[in-house]
Amino acid sequence: METLINSPVSGEVLDEIIGKHRGKPGMLLSTLEETQEKNPLKYLSGEMLAEISKKLKIPYTQVYSVATFYSFFNLKPQGKHSIVVCRGTACHTKGSKALLDDIGAIFGFKRTDDGAESSYTTPDNLFTIKTVACFGQCAQSPVVAIDDIIYSNVNSRKLLKIISNVKDKKQP
Amino acid sequence: MKPSEIEILRKQHRERILPTTPMILVGMGTCGIGNGADAVYNHFQKLISENNLDYKLKQTGCFGFCAEEPMVMLYQPGKPVLVYSKVNGKDARRIVDNLQKNRLYKDKLLCRIDEWDFLTSEVEFGKGYEEIPHWDEVPFFKGQKKVVLRHAGLIDPEEILDYIAVGGYNALTKVIMGYKPAEVVDQVMTSKLRGRGGAGFPTGIKWSIMQKQNTGQKYVVCNADEGDPGAYMNRNEIESDPHMLLEGMLIGAYAMGASEGIAYVRAEYPLAVKRLKTAIHQTEKLGLLGENILGAGFNFKLDIVEGAGAFVCGEETALIASIEGKAGRPLPRPPYPADKGLYGKPTNINNVETWCNVPVIIEKGAEWFTTIGTEKSPGTKVFSLVGKVKNTGLVELPLGSKLEQFVFNIGGGTGTSKRVKAVQTGGPSGGCIPLEYFSTPVDYESLAGIGAIMGSGGMVVMDQDNCMVDVARYFLEFNARESCGKCTPCREGLAQALAILTRITRGEGTFADLAMLELLGGVIKDSSLCALGQTAPNPILTTLKYFRHEYEEHIREKRCQAGTCESLFMALCENSCPLHMNIPGYIELIKEDRVEDAFELTLRDNPLPGTIGRICHFHCQMRCRREMLDQPVSQGEIHRYLADTMYQLGKENEIYDKLVKEKLPPTGKRIAIVGAGPAGLTAAFYLVRLGHEVTVYDALSDAGGVTRFGIPQYRLPKDVLKKEAKLIKKLGVKFKFNQRLGDNLLLDELKKEFDTIYLAIGAWKDIDLKIPGENAKGVFAGTGILKEMAMGKTPKLGGQVAIIGAGNVAIDAARSILRLGKDVTIVYRREKGDMPANAVEISESEEEKIKYCFLASPNEIITGKSGRVKALRIEKMSRGSIDSSGRKRPVATGVFEEIPCDSVILAVGERVDSGSLAKNNMELTGDGRIVIDPFTFQTSDPQIYAGGDAVSGPSTAAEAMGMAKRAAAAIDRALMGKDRFHLLSREFNYRNAVPVNPKPGPKNVPRRLPVKDRVNNFNEISCGFTGEQARNEVERCLRCDVKY
Repeated sequence: METLINSPVSGEVLDEIIGKHRGKPGMLLSTLEETQEKNPLKYLSGEMLAEISKKLKIPYTQVYSVATFYSFFNLKPQGKHSIVVCRGTACHTKGSKALLDDIGAIFGFKRTDDGAESSYTTPDNLFTIKTVACFGQCAQSPVVAIDDIIYSNVNSRKLLKIISNVKDKKQP
Repeated sequence: MKPSEIEILRKQHRERILPTTPMILVGMGTCGIGNGADAVYNHFQKLISENNLDYKLKQTGCFGFCAEEPMVMLYQPGKPVLVYSKVNGKDARRIVDNLQKNRLYKDKLLCRIDEWDFLTSEVEFGKGYEEIPHWDEVPFFKGQKKVVLRHAGLIDPEEILDYIAVGGYNALTKVIMGYKPAEVVDQVMTSKLRGRGGAGFPTGIKWSIMQKQNTGQKYVVCNADEGDPGAYMNRNEIESDPHMLLEGMLIGAYAMGASEGIAYVRAEYPLAVKRLKTAIHQTEKLGLLGENILGAGFNFKLDIVEGAGAFVCGEETALIASIEGKAGRPLPRPPYPADKGLYGKPTNINNVETWCNVPVIIEKGAEWFTTIGTEKSPGTKVFSLVGKVKNTGLVELPLGSKLEQFVFNIGGGTGTSKRVKAVQTGGPSGGCIPLEYFSTPVDYESLAGIGAIMGSGGMVVMDQDNCMVDVARYFLEFNARESCGKCTPCREGLAQALAILTRITRGEGTFADLAMLELLGGVIKDSSLCALGQTAPNPILTTLKYFRHEYEEHIREKRCQAGTCESLFMALCENSCPLHMNIPGYIELIKEDRVEDAFELTLRDNPLPGTIGRICHFHCQMRCRREMLDQPVSQGEIHRYLADTMYQLGKENEIYDKLVKEKLPPTGKRIAIVGAGPAGLTAAFYLVRLGHEVTVYDALSDAGGVTRFGIPQYRLPKDVLKKEAKLIKKLGVKFKFNQRLGDNLLLDELKKEFDTIYLAIGAWKDIDLKIPGENAKGVFAGTGILKEMAMGKTPKLGGQVAIIGAGNVAIDAARSILRLGKDVTIVYRREKGDMPANAVEISESEEEKIKYCFLASPNEIITGKSGRVKALRIEKMSRGSIDSSGRKRPVATGVFEEIPCDSVILAVGERVDSGSLAKNNMELTGDGRIVIDPFTFQTSDPQIYAGGDAVSGPSTAAEAMGMAKRAAAAIDRALMGKDRFHLLSREFNYRNAVPVNPKPGPKNVPRRLPVKDRVNNFNEISCGFTGEQARNEVERCLRCDVKY
């Protein structure tokens, strides 16, 4: 019976993913990762979590615990474009906080100092801005990833250029 | 696959490493690709196919020198391999072009490789190209020992045959065919290999425990969850040489009896995951992974699990929980994973780099391994050298190498004009080590001894622009966010500590907070469940230990010198200015055409705007945000323009009258200031406005100190200073000249007559060079010559003058006597780039054709028969390694030369003339400077305060004035019992419009007199901004002070 109605990830696809990882170490993690990846909106809905819990016979609370524990999992729909600013030590030392402030100014949001809200999606759902603890590209800090392309040695000017390129491309 | 077949494969595929045709290798690690290496690779591919060339093209991992990516190696049969750096499409075309014509392409050529030791085999490429440095002569690579990184950058990580061709999987074969599992464990024990993840637990012991377990299923796990920000060694190890990891795990699995392995790789490393998957696939195909490996009945399969962004999963019990499909929360140990690990079975977890060392230990033997490194920590370690350092990249050195080797020899220092302040090692669990401790060896124990840890190998270099309080807060925020939340000390403790640190960075901290932080830190360390909590306080505790003064400044003065904690300052320029001038304020007022208001605002912050606008070091420009766009704004030049314009129009008197009227009512307190230099004048300016009765004494005949008697007219005309001193006189300050402290002016008398004394006597005593001939006829002191000329006299110099020194006094003296028609040579023991003088001064002196003799150390002043100077003998110096000032040390060569001259001027530095103060029992430093309390500015005698060069040693006029301004506030507070300093300022209302789309463009440059019009006179060289230039320059300010 098709229980996932109107879901971005169909029951078929989900079964395929589960079949791939069933019985292997890290089964739940890998399943959640791939399911989120297959969703064009890049998130895990409550529905999908419930379905995975049922098919893998893992208690829902445990699935929910894993989905909320790891920062990689999104429980809300993500914007079309992703901007990830690295906040690792080398990047911070070379001024990535200023870049984050620049992005805040461009997209109109203010970061809270206690870091409670770790990601921000623009109201028009076009951009999601997140931070990552470290990309591992430390020799070329500061580093910003936009739509999964990693840019290195980024300064304010470069950042403006890259973002405006992305914004322009979105106009058909 | 049979063991003999591996040997055959190795011989067959040797050609992949030493082909008979030229081969181009392109470094394709994540860093390389991030810098365009894939585009370069495609370029080469196109060139080769379009021209039908018989060249091979190979992708490799990363050679380690990340700052120079993309890197390309050119192999030619029989010749050394050539290594090119920062290669782009054009270079690619030229490399191929030159190769076809059998010519050497020299552009972007970094070094050559004659031979290479893969440790599992050795390769000789060829001899030649001797004029190109060998790779281990390049400063970044000099001293490195490539053990773990033996293949990185030289083989194709996605090609198992490359790995076998250089000798890979030979160790595995040796083990499976000839060793018993216990023997393998023995080798690892003998090697004394310690865990490279950070804890440094002896690997052999861990393996031994596992090996002895007799239960059925066992697991081995590779911890590749490298979460330390700033560390990426493991990423490179997997991306560049995944088979090395596989071989290590295979050997380990055999030794410990494990049939299943898991590599837990963080999700942020997609390329590493991809390459590892490819490697596993290829190894399986060749029968080196899976069932019945090498026909010896040994089974082992390896799965990859990707992490999902949780730093705590690097802790082994959390990692196990994560694989088991739970949240990554650590468990108490015992039981240790070797007892009860994954799925309750014995499990051995090792870091990537630990596994990678295993094949080498087997291949070369445990004894060989112990010859590298130290006794307790043998072997090498890969470190990631990043941050404010010139040569960033991955460095592999024997354990026990000193920190200074990393930062200065390999890293090359900051590479900018900024000074190194500290190195942060060990990631968020580590500590910040200040410059003074850089001779500490890097190994597990020595760093722990000074309160830091080596950790996984991350090394982040920080300079003077990094605020250590902010660094502590940064790491605390990281740790607090990554805390799993299970145990109270970590979850609650870190959150509370973070709240305290955040308040301190906002200027809301107290000293009680520091005590609380230390207490909290200790409790969290002692009582947390896992290493995350236990080490999280380290950044706070080490910064409190080594950089306490920064915390104190944030709390007591609400000041962030480095300019990072934004709540504590208005703008970066204002924060860096020793006088804290409201620079955005006067810039905005000029934009609004309110020149008088702009001048008044300036004057209230800086009583000598015209003077300082001409001679300052412009600390403001060194931090101006505009530099990220094009060039810094010329803030100093703008306030010079303001002063000049007002003086020209005679409008300054209105403002002066205003200030006089505003003086606070007379307090009846009498203050004596000794020294009428910038510090003394500034202190007088503020103290008289606060209502006190101020008398300024000076040993010379006029006010100004160094600005009047040390700086030549062509930089600062007398009239400017005279005008600005007029204001101080107008405010009611009394001046008494020709009164020298210790001669006709006695401190004890002053103490009786005045309530408070401020000493600002500067640093006027020339340092002796202590070389023979120093007292001959014709040898002069630099400051003496300048003083004479400032008083209108002509010094009795010969015609050929040699000046020893390269600071501002030396240059000022040189250019002054040049204008008297003398032949001048400056002799300096270092090089031009090391000169402490202003860059503008140096370039102008070169325009005026002053001669320089660099790398020349003065050895003896040679006199003729009459006892008069005849020549200066110098010893030629060569460049040594970089010292802690960030400059190359001069090294004596033993080669001497004589410079003919008839006069010698000594200008190698100045000291404070504090002989008389010593007699008064005042506390002085070893080199004669006055000691003061950094917050109250009092000397060891509470009635006497001090500031300026007399306290800091020769510094800048602006810094002297800044100290004096704060001292004036402190003196007033002490005399009157309350804070009244703010009463001297007033509100200026101006717009806060931020330029939204600033157009990049160069800064405005004031017109200067051409050389021919200035070398024979003392006319002022710089004409300052025109009105139009000033109005254009203010538009360049980004108003980064505006906050929303």
